[in-house]
Amino acid sequence: MRLLRILFRLAWRNLWRNHRRTIIMLGAIGVGVWAMIFMTALTRGMVDQMIVDSIGVLPGHVQVHHPDYQDDPSISNRMLISADDISERLDTGAVKAWASRVRVPAIITSERESRGVTLLGVDPEAEREISFFDYDEVDGRFLTDVNDKGIVIGKKLAKTLETEVGKRVVLMSQDPDNEIADRGFRVVGLYTAKTKAVEEAYAYVGRRTAQTMLRIGDATSEVVFLGDDYRNVDPIYDVAVSAVGEGLSIRPWYDIDTYLGAMLGVMDGFVLVWVVVIFLALSFGLVNTLVMAVFERVREIGLMLALGMKPGSILGQIVIESMLLITFGLAIGNALAWATVVPLESGIDVSIVGDGMEMWGMSSMLYPKLYVSDMVLASSVVLLLGFLASLSPAWRASRYEPVEAITKV
Amino acid sequence: MSAVRCVDLCKTYRQGDQDIKALDHVSIEIDKGGFVCLSAPSGGGKTTLLNAIGGLDIPDSGEVYVDGQRIDNLSKGDLADLRLRQIGFVFQAYNLIPVLTAQENVEFVMQVQGVATSERNEKAKEILKEVGLEGLENRRPAEMSGGQQQRVAVARAVASRPALILADEPTANLDSKTSDGLMELFTELNENHSSTFIIASHDQRVMNYAKRLVRMLDGRIVEDIDQRAA
Amino acid sequence: MKIVFRLAWRNLWRQPRRTWLTTGAMIFANMLLVFMISLQFGMYSLMIDNALQVFTGHMQVQAPLYNDEKKMRQTVPNIVPLANAIREELQSDKVAARGWAFALASSDDRSFGIGIYGVEPEFENNVSNIPGLTSLGRYLGDNDAAEIVMGSVLARNLHVEVGDEITLMGSGVDGSFAAAVVNIVGIFDSGVTDIDRNIAEIPLGFFQDTFFMEGAGHQVVVFGDGLAAVPELKSRVQSVLPGDSDLVMLDWDALQPGLKQAIQADMSSAFFMYFVLVILVSFSVLNTQLMSVLERTREFGIVMALGLKPGKLGRLVILETAMMGLLGVVLGVAAGALVTAWFTTNGLAFPGMDEMAAKFNLPARMYPQINALTLLAGPITVFIFTMLASIYPAVRLHWQNPVDAMRVA
Repeated sequence: MRLLRILFRLAWRNLWRNHRRTIIMLGAIGVGVWAMIFMTALTRGMVDQMIVDSIGVLPGHVQVHHPDYQDDPSISNRMLISADDISERLDTGAVKAWASRVRVPAIITSERESRGVTLLGVDPEAEREISFFDYDEVDGRFLTDVNDKGIVIGKKLAKTLETEVGKRVVLMSQDPDNEIADRGFRVVGLYTAKTKAVEEAYAYVGRRTAQTMLRIGDATSEVVFLGDDYRNVDPIYDVAVSAVGEGLSIRPWYDIDTYLGAMLGVMDGFVLVWVVVIFLALSFGLVNTLVMAVFERVREIGLMLALGMKPGSILGQIVIESMLLITFGLAIGNALAWATVVPLESGIDVSIVGDGMEMWGMSSMLYPKLYVSDMVLASSVVLLLGFLASLSPAWRASRYEPVEAITKV
Repeated sequence: MSAVRCVDLCKTYRQGDQDIKALDHVSIEIDKGGFVCLSAPSGGGKTTLLNAIGGLDIPDSGEVYVDGQRIDNLSKGDLADLRLRQIGFVFQAYNLIPVLTAQENVEFVMQVQGVATSERNEKAKEILKEVGLEGLENRRPAEMSGGQQQRVAVARAVASRPALILADEPTANLDSKTSDGLMELFTELNENHSSTFIIASHDQRVMNYAKRLVRMLDGRIVEDIDQRAA
Repeated sequence: MKIVFRLAWRNLWRQPRRTWLTTGAMIFANMLLVFMISLQFGMYSLMIDNALQVFTGHMQVQAPLYNDEKKMRQTVPNIVPLANAIREELQSDKVAARGWAFALASSDDRSFGIGIYGVEPEFENNVSNIPGLTSLGRYLGDNDAAEIVMGSVLARNLHVEVGDEITLMGSGVDGSFAAAVVNIVGIFDSGVTDIDRNIAEIPLGFFQDTFFMEGAGHQVVVFGDGLAAVPELKSRVQSVLPGDSDLVMLDWDALQPGLKQAIQADMSSAFFMYFVLVILVSFSVLNTQLMSVLERTREFGIVMALGLKPGKLGRLVILETAMMGLLGVVLGVAAGALVTAWFTTNGLAFPGMDEMAAKFNLPARMYPQINALTLLAGPITVFIFTMLASIYPAVRLHWQNPVDAMRVA
């Protein structure tokens, strides 16, 4: 303990002996660590947003379908499980919201144009929590109940179809016997989504109305469950299994949208690679600083050895000095990152490249997100690698022959 | 038992393409409480002998005993321990650790030895007073004169009460008045603390103060004079 | 002058380890920059090529607003003669006319709404890679035949194979009911799920008959000699357009605004990373040069006392940095080029690439693109910043007074 105290004192005082060099190095480590965390927060925010948006559109953290639905998303592959059955068996502990819906491809036709859409027969109340738009912000109104006779479509689709609230459109799909199932609807509302593609994709009608039109009784196409955190879907998965029983395909979001799942993995990998690359760029300066520090102090290191200090203590002294330097740099970097990310958490407008972001699957607002776990990861990587990098100069210092070192000019 | 005994020491250095015999079959025995000056012209082998006695350098052949213990075959770690616990050093220059104050430098060896804080504070203060540096405890080496620095080094060397104190050209960078002061300090400490002093120097003043003068030339002892009689 | 060079070079190698560590930081950064920039540009050009080669082309002739609204009646009249005229003018076969309609495609037991392209079988393979990707059966032949090729996912969803017949239903350009029975002659697999699920092609002559086009179509696709030649291409095509028409020419950027922006978005985040890397290297150089000036204070003092002007010494320091920087550029570019060259032949893949490839129409391996720009842009920036970093140490010399300088031990 006493030895450690003197080693710390020596390391600390030596650190400030050449304050210019220390300050430059602190600047470099600070900037490096800031960049690590800032960039990570930006990417995390992007991926978070992308996943949250996509799950919001999919939607649901865990989805239940007929086993063949994924390959052939038609009315044939429907589930006979009714919303009431699930509701009875559901333990809502982990589940924030859930909904069962009819979901089939359909064609929507106005007086002017036709387009393909995904028909969603929904329960408006159940869907409220899950929906990617706010019911109150719908032009006109959203559906009121499962028997609603109206249809709600996206603004962009309405423009393409040259239709508007109050006008009629026809939806056409198939019933289970491959007969054409069609029905006229009055457009009651237009929703806005983050991307044009989504605004063209979905048409909402009441679940009962859809079931009647498609002649499928109580059957539905999918049940979706939403939890609190997309990263932690296991509890919801368990709830879903117990609620819907055997014989159906129950899958978490990352299984359904493999691109999103892969992106999450790619980003985790990217964060680590980025942190290591920055560290490597820093490590040259760090090792250089330590080599210079050792070189300048050959004589006093020799003196300490001659006075009977053990080589291990010399090594420890240099390593402690390096770790002190790194720790200060980390503190500066983390503080800088915190100070720059927090004001930006309300969003950075990148709509100049909005279409491009859309192409990557992201929205035109960026919300950087500072995770403590990322700060800890970056800091530990820097500390660990910094420790390893300082071993070599420290080892050399401890191997000096006291007589040679002390007489070195 | 003698404080130091060297038997038939040899040490050869290579310099360029020449072999230089720094120690050529040197044998010497120094009694406890002795005050010996090793004197030789530059390259005469005095520093090499001093380093061999201090465990800083291993002779090519021969045996070195300190306090009856053979040390030329010890490991590096054991040698470090020996230096730490039994020997005090005063070097020609760069004696002090620049980032530590006078008092911290004096305490350094004790701190590495693991002496308790209060005890070593007290000892350091006492010794700094003894070497005449009272009031300068908190100065760093750069803020002191050469003579003051050497006094701190001496204080450090004797602070932990080692049996043996080795000094290599301690007066080389000092003016004559300061040198006299330092030598008087050595004499005083030699008498008060009954430590053995071995000083390597070719400074006439140092030789005058020594009780025993050993002259070396080309790695051999050429003269060994007991000066107390004189 | 020669002696100054020799002096600078020798000074550099007084502390070989320090020089190598500083140069090492440059080499590391330069290598990384060469590799990353080459990879990035390789990816961009692939993205552009692939995206444009599916349907977009370098430019298209369309009716105004068609690109945004895609309405049936926004036609290019007499489209085949127009396409011929453009071919004539450009002396190129990379020109093809197309029509596009939305239709309900029905097999015996499934119906889906899909997009139908009417294409010129003779020319389509010059402007699109779809003909070449027809892996089952054959591509279209006769311009008036009742034949269709469709994406693999669509064929699977419709439960059809090559040789089967399907019915197309939609509305003609005048809004009247349009229907046809077509024979499936081929199935293509583009690797992009959205295209494979939603697109089919029929011959343009047959398309015009079916949808009552009266010789009209919707787009003339043109490929020129690379992206840089697009403006010239546009002006030549312009000269062929009928004087009284309001047809518009849209280049690839207008047709796919997302593409350029996606690249810009990706570039800006990449440039942020490169910039951080360059800054870190500059810190390293600043540190080294400042140390090297400070430790030579005494020596500089002596030569200044001998009458050498501080400016000369400053130039010496800058020259030393330049030598170090040049060494970094040469070795960094060489190392970077080697690494990159290896990947240009072997390609680079990482986990998650497959999913990204399927989404963005990229190959599953990335091949970096080496050229003078990708090779030198990064290292030259590093060099410039290195030189900037040596200004402070060089200027410091001016503040020194020879006597003070000599007194420093």
